[in-house]
Amino acid sequence: MKNLIRSLIILLPLFGIYFFFNILTEEKFYPGADFRSFEVPNFELSALDLDVKYTSEDFDNEFLMNVWASWCITCRVEHGFLMKLNNDGYNIVGLNYKDNKSDALGWLKKYTNPYSLNIHDPKGSLALDMGVTGAPETFLVKDGVVLVHYSGEVNKVIWDNVFFPIIKENKMFQ
Amino acid sequence: MIKIFFIIALIISPYGFSSEVYKFKSVNDEDRFYALIHEIRCPKCTSGSIASSNAPVSEDLKMKIAELINQGYSDTEIKDYAKKRFGKDILYDPEINSTTFVLWFGPFIFLTLILFGFLLRRKFK
Repeated sequence: MKNLIRSLIILLPLFGIYFFFNILTEEKFYPGADFRSFEVPNFELSALDLDVKYTSEDFDNEFLMNVWASWCITCRVEHGFLMKLNNDGYNIVGLNYKDNKSDALGWLKKYTNPYSLNIHDPKGSLALDMGVTGAPETFLVKDGVVLVHYSGEVNKVIWDNVFFPIIKENKMFQ
Repeated sequence: MIKIFFIIALIISPYGFSSEVYKFKSVNDEDRFYALIHEIRCPKCTSGSIASSNAPVSEDLKMKIAELINQGYSDTEIKDYAKKRFGKDILYDPEINSTTFVLWFGPFIFLTLILFGFLLRRKFK
């Protein structure tokens, strides 16, 4: 009994150190990435540049949805990579988040437009429904279901490690 | 004259400012709202509740919660709404289920075991 307690005095702290070392040094797989899939919520919002209304039924194909705004600095950083994706033939839908229409259009004119179409969400209602906490955020959508939700800037590393495996797995954009 | 005008402006301005942002059907609903916004974490600034946060997403979430309460949603439904979109971390109190069981009851189980051990030791002495 005494020996057991003695060994416990040594073993318990060792176990504690091992436990916390493991937890604290654990390599998290891209903390901005979220793979819980959900359906694109119902919405009805007007387009940014055209006089039409979009509803959730218009979005049942394969596309990337990028949440952006003219006030968002990281969106400017991300813009170059989105242009590259657009040139590679990926369909990117823009969700203009809490932005002024004229500011947003000016931004697109100044830096060129990587989006096939733009939804204007001045109050962030659709964004809130999709779990957006800020801009930029990017969703991968297939048949009206979100497969990947990435919070933060999408660049080559994120694309190759977070998005591309899922795209390949689901045989998208072929 | 200007002085009087200034005083009147001072007296009136708080009333102009304190217009209610959130409107509810009953006092009970309002109480539920204030309880809920203290239980839900701000998605942007994760060490504060949405009640204490002015982040745009928290403002939106508060508006949405007020809207859902007025639509007759229950507290659990509203929590589920937030959880579905922002993950289980959004709730300040972790829910009790098979994965959080240890978190909630671990200390008590540990205490009982220690107590049991002491009693056994006494008996064998």
